[in-house]
Formats: sequence, C-alpha cells, structure tokens
Amino acid sequence: MPFFGELFVSDLLKKPVLDPKGEELGKVRDIVMIKGEPFPKVSALIIEKKKKLFNLPWNDLNIFNKRIISAQIYSDVLRHYDYSETDLLIVRDIFDKQIVDANGAKVVRVNDVKLEGFDSAAILVAVDVGMRGIMRRLGVERGGEDMMRLFKKHLPYNLISWNYIQPLEPKLTKISLTVPRQMVSELHPADLAEIISQVSHKEGASFFKGLDVETAAEALSELQPDVQAAIITGMDTDSAADIIEEMPPDEAADVLSDLPVDKAKEILEHIEKDEAEDIQELLSHEEDTAGGLMTNQFIAYRPEILVKDAIEKFRRDAEEVEAVYYLYVTDTDEKIMGVISLRDLLLAPLDVRLSDIMKTKLKIVSPETDEIEVAEIVSKYNLVAIPVVDSEGYMLGIVTIDDIVDRILPPLAKRKRRKV
Amino acid sequence: MSIWRRIAIFLSIMGPGIITANIDNDASGITTYSVAGARFEYALLWTLIPTTVALIVIQEMVARMAAVTGKGLSDLIRENYGVRSTFYMMTVLFIANFGTTVADFAGWAASMEILGFSKYFMVPLGALFIWFLVVKGSYRFVERILLIACLLYFGYVFSGFMAKPQWSRVVYSTFVPQIQWNAEFIMLSIAIIGTTITPWMQFYLQSSIAEKGITKEEYKASRLDVFIGCSITDIVSFFIIVTCATTLFPLGMRINEASEAALALKPLAGNYAFLIFAVCLANASLLGAIIVPLATSYYICEALGWERGVNKTFRDAPQFMWIYTFMIVIAVIVILIPDAPLVFLMVLSSVLNGMLLPFVLIYALSLVNNKKIMGEYVNPKFYNVISWGTIGAITALAVFFVITILIPLGA
Repeated sequence: MPFFGELFVSDLLKKPVLDPKGEELGKVRDIVMIKGEPFPKVSALIIEKKKKLFNLPWNDLNIFNKRIISAQIYSDVLRHYDYSETDLLIVRDIFDKQIVDANGAKVVRVNDVKLEGFDSAAILVAVDVGMRGIMRRLGVERGGEDMMRLFKKHLPYNLISWNYIQPLEPKLTKISLTVPRQMVSELHPADLAEIISQVSHKEGASFFKGLDVETAAEALSELQPDVQAAIITGMDTDSAADIIEEMPPDEAADVLSDLPVDKAKEILEHIEKDEAEDIQELLSHEEDTAGGLMTNQFIAYRPEILVKDAIEKFRRDAEEVEAVYYLYVTDTDEKIMGVISLRDLLLAPLDVRLSDIMKTKLKIVSPETDEIEVAEIVSKYNLVAIPVVDSEGYMLGIVTIDDIVDRILPPLAKRKRRKV
Repeated sequence: MSIWRRIAIFLSIMGPGIITANIDNDASGITTYSVAGARFEYALLWTLIPTTVALIVIQEMVARMAAVTGKGLSDLIRENYGVRSTFYMMTVLFIANFGTTVADFAGWAASMEILGFSKYFMVPLGALFIWFLVVKGSYRFVERILLIACLLYFGYVFSGFMAKPQWSRVVYSTFVPQIQWNAEFIMLSIAIIGTTITPWMQFYLQSSIAEKGITKEEYKASRLDVFIGCSITDIVSFFIIVTCATTLFPLGMRINEASEAALALKPLAGNYAFLIFAVCLANASLLGAIIVPLATSYYICEALGWERGVNKTFRDAPQFMWIYTFMIVIAVIVILIPDAPLVFLMVLSSVLNGMLLPFVLIYALSLVNNKKIMGEYVNPKFYNVISWGTIGAITALAVFFVITILIPLGA
C-alpha cells in the first residue's frame, strides 16, 4: 500500500479504521513494527473493537493518513490479536520510555514517534522528545503553538533521528542512544540537515535561527535545493546574508541560484563586495557544468617564488580556502602554467623555485564541460580537484572531488524529497 | 551474619525512610497536632495508631518498588499510564507542593519572629542555606545533615515529659478510641491523617531510595528504615499533642498556629518548653522547605525523563536544579510580600493534596501488584487486603476532608 507523507503516532491512536463500505473495523490501539533497513517499518495495526483486539496487516490497508485510515478487508477476515512479548509495539514498548545517552545519562523521554513514507512502507524515522510531543499527546499542540506565538516564540521540534538509537530489544525498560547527550545538540551539520529535512520548511527556518552562523552555513549546504531555498526565503535578509557569506562561494552560488532573482539580488547586496563578486561570477555558469560546480577559491602563486616562501604563504592563505590539496602556478595574467601537489611542495628542497617542481602536463576542463565528463576525468586520473580554465588559458576556479561525489551520490537529506 | 555486621548494613541503608517520615511532621503537621492537643486534650491520641499502621503499609510498598525497580514513582506512572494522567497529576502536585513549601517557609518565618529575629533577614538566609545544601552538596552529605536535623525532633519528647501529663489518662486515650460527634473533632482527626500521609512523600521516599541505589538484596534493611521512621514520626506527633493537651487545654486556650503554641507555652511551662517548641518548629519548617521542593523536582524530572539527583550538578541536571531553585525563590518572595494570600495558598494546597492522595495510592498499589514490574516482589494476597482496606479508608477520609474544607461544617 503506498503511503506518502509523515505523521506522528499519537495522531493515529484511537482513530477509527474503516472497511471498504465505510463501516468501522475498530479503533487504532497500537502499531506493530518489524526490523527493516534502514529503519523499522510498520507491519500491522492493532485495532480494538468492543474490547477485543485485532491484527490488521499493513498490506491490507488502503488509505493511511492522520485523517482517514481504511482497509481493503472486512471485519469477518480480521484475526484476533494477543499481546506477545516478542512483538515490538510502538505504544507499549517505545512510548514514554526513558532515553539514555551513550554515557548512561538520562536525556529525556519518548513523547511521540514519527513515521514517514518510504517506498511502499511506513518507517519509523524519529522519536519526538520535546514539549510539542507532550502537547500532541495531550491534544493541545495547536493551542500550545498559538500561545507561544503570543510571546513571539516558536514551539521547537525536538526530534531524535532513529539513526542514533540503538537497536531495540524486547521487554526494554529504556532506550539507549549511540551518542553522548552533548552530541545530540552538537550534531554534525550533515546530520542536522537530515533532521531539518524531516521537519516542515517554516520550522526548518526557525531551527536555523537557533544555530550559530558557521553550523548553519554547513548544514544549509547539505540540504536539497528546494529546502535550501525555502529556508532562506523564510529568513530576513540580514541573517540570510550572514549565512550565505559563511558558505564557500560555489555552494553559496548554488543556494542563490535556486532563489527568486529579487531575493538573490537583495542578499548579494548585503554580502561583502569581494565575496559577492565571486558568487556572481559563479552564478553565470550552468548548474550542471564544470563552471556551475566549481569554486573560485583556490591557491595560486607565481612561478618564481621559492618553495620555502610558498610554504610560508600557504600557511596563511590556506585557512580561507576550502580545497588546499593542490597549489596552482599562474603567470602575471592569471593564466595557468602548472600545478604542484601539497605533497610535492612539502617534499621539495626549500630553496628551489616553484617553476622547478611544478607539473606542466595539466588535466583541465572548460567551464562548459558537463559534470559527468568532469567526474570521469577526475576519476580516471585520481585527482582531488581539477582546474577550470577558459579558452584563453585563464584559470577560473577548481572543481573539487567532494562536489562531484555530492552530484553523483547526493546525501540522503538532498536526495529524499519531502512528500506531503 | 554477626549482629554487628547487620547493624553496619542497616546504618548504611537507613536514611530515606527515617527522613521522609520525620519531615512529615513539617510546619503544617506540627500546627495540626498542637491545635488538636490544645482543643481536645488527649481525645485524638488514638488516631495516631491507625495512622501509623496506614503510613507503614503504604511506605513499605513504595520502598519495595524503589528497591526492586530502581526507579521513582513518577517514572513508573509515566511508563505505565502514559502522558495524560502523569501530566495532570504532576501539574496538580506542583501547585499543591508549592503551597506546602510556602507553608514551611511561613513556619520558619514565624518561629524566627517569636525567637526575636527579623523574618526579612532569616527567610532569605534559610533559603540560601537549603539551596546551597542541595545544589552544592552530595547525596550522602545532604542525608547526614537531614538525619542530624531529625534528631532535633526529640525535643518534643522532652517537652512532653516536662509538661508532666497524667500518664494514666494519656495511655487510656491512646488505646481506647473515642469519637466526639462535632465537626471540629472530625475535621481534626482527618487532618491528622491527611498531614501524615501526603502524596509528595511517596514520591520522595521512592526517589531517594532509588537514588541511594538500594537493591532487592538490601531491601530488608530498607524496610526496617521505613518502619523505624514511621514509628518515630508518630511518637513525635504523640508528644506534641501531649504537651499542648497538658498545658494549654486546661486553660481553654484556642490556638491556630504552631508558633502560637510556642508562645502560649512560655508562661505556662517555662522558657525551656518555649525554646524547644520554637526551635523544633524552625527545624521542622526548614527541613520541609528542603524536602518538598526536592520531591517536586524529583517527580517532575522523572515524569519528563530528565536527569535528576542531589548528586548531580547544574550542568548534568539543569532542569532538576532549576525547579528546586525556582520553588524556593518564589516561596520566599511570597512569604516576604506583605498581605500575600498565604491562607488561601495553604488551603488550596491541602485540598489538592487531599484530592490527589487517592490517585497516587491507587497507582502505587496497582504498580506494586504488576508482575511485569515487580516480578516475585508483588504484594502477597493478605497484604493486598490490608493495603486496599487502608487505601479505601484513606480515600473516603480524603474525600470527606476536601468536602469539609470546601463546605465548612457549621464552623
């Protein structure tokens, strides 16, 4: 049965389940989960009618959302259900359990459980541990939100992704996280992005406001384009500009290119001039070409510089630059002459010139090169980055391997489209 | 096992039961006993025996749950009865306990005033002291301080002897029940039970035994702890009633406050009796002001699943420490504001406590009988008869108590 969207288990409980004729089969009492990859999935609903419990398999369901739950079968084929210790039940085994972190510290309790559609199954993606979950259980989520609005605050979503939860065993009395408590609030930006992609856009934006600029910038670049755009649009220009400015120019350009032109312009005006120019230049390329993928932050020195001076300079310059595995050698016109790997630079005698050690047989791509072709070249020659050079030999930027990997194998948060 | 070894084990386990039961005689408890003695002489003494039995029955079950599960009472309620009942229970308990905290600070303020100290100085000072004790102290340290403070209750025993009661009449009234059919008598006898068996102490006792890490194997010692504690608390109540009955009743003095009792004792029984009553009231109030907010922080954090415990720091258990701090600070402010509606708060608190008690006890009893939680440690059959009987009686009295407060009986 196809299931699209996301919902919280507490929204389902006590909802009537209807048969094809619209007669009530029973009310939802609990949900049976079975192991699945990567997340546990719903295998049956347990419904109650006239104090008796029945098992309604997932595959016999027809419609499954928070307003309507209906089955393809009639009450005469329903099987009785008896509670069994070996089943994993959401209400009985997961709700209200203590969550302890990897160090055994009590973090919080499970207030609610979030399901999401994945292929044709409903999977358990996260547990709700916040006030919102409690209010939802009490049936006053809406009211709580309205009240917080009075104080100009937003009721936050506190979800813990099922990724961080250790496999459940039967008869459990507590649920363990795989990470220490501090880490739940200091998640890797990529993990944050995953959580953000699971909440609605408006909430994502408010979630972002709570992050420091650096983390926000990193997390934003991990998101899928429409989520990025929605979040940035939902923020005021100043804070959006702060975050964009923090991002590497190529990623900033990616985000801006998905925004409405007016909004993008507005944000660019709030960004420091140099940075804005870099981004603008990148914006002029097609997204799926080398020009669209490249960043214009790279390290390039003159050929006559001595190795020891280059290393000295490098130590200062590398801090600002994302990809530092190659040092490019350019002439006074910024035309590319050669490349030196970081390894070669460090192993070279200190008093020779860069022109003595640079490799001149360069692999380069033009800004119009298709991204797949770029990937093939990088893969073939085992490069970490490849320079993008225009027809006259001017070096425009570099495409780094992580950008290519992202294109070919988008991270989960970017790949998964929100289904609502 | 040698007798010394047994004693050593008991000494390491004891604490929670004795402390919980003693703090039961907090400001409002002492007030009730003083008023009862002054108004009806020895007539209410017999109520202490059934009260003690009921207290022991209930505390024993709670202590057993703590030792077997290692969890607090609200932990278990939340895990077995869900958010809704837990949430409403916690909200009502919070308000009720806040009232109790205020009552305890009021008792502290009153005892300081009659001893000649300004409450504007002593209330913040007392608050600061108990705040430091819990926030900066370890469980062992806090427990030791509390145990020592519990010794001070014996002052009441001395004052009882100093009052030179007619022991034959005292003994007779203790063992031969008598009932006077008037509203005040009935209300006071219910109040004695109501002030002795409170919802918060069930939560506190279970949490503190769980925090102490007492196991099933050590449970026997813990049971003795509870037994001794409950006995001591009612022996203390007994002597409070005896003192006030012997000295104040013959003169027909009506008192409404524990501090009034202390003042009234001064010309009658001399300075020592006055000092004992004043200092013991101060001690009991301060103890109550530590434990009640502490119990509140415990069960709220348990219900919501946050880290808690006296052993933890602000960093490890921020919510726990903040709830404790918040309750103390607000209670102090309420006490120091002139014309704050103290009486209303305290009446509200006892009504809420009375309404909650049956629920708490019924939850506790059904949890202790749950095989999945308690395993072989569920109540034996005969014990269930006793405990259901106790809880039934208390429930009836609690309902009656709430009704009499809401609709005063001709008084």
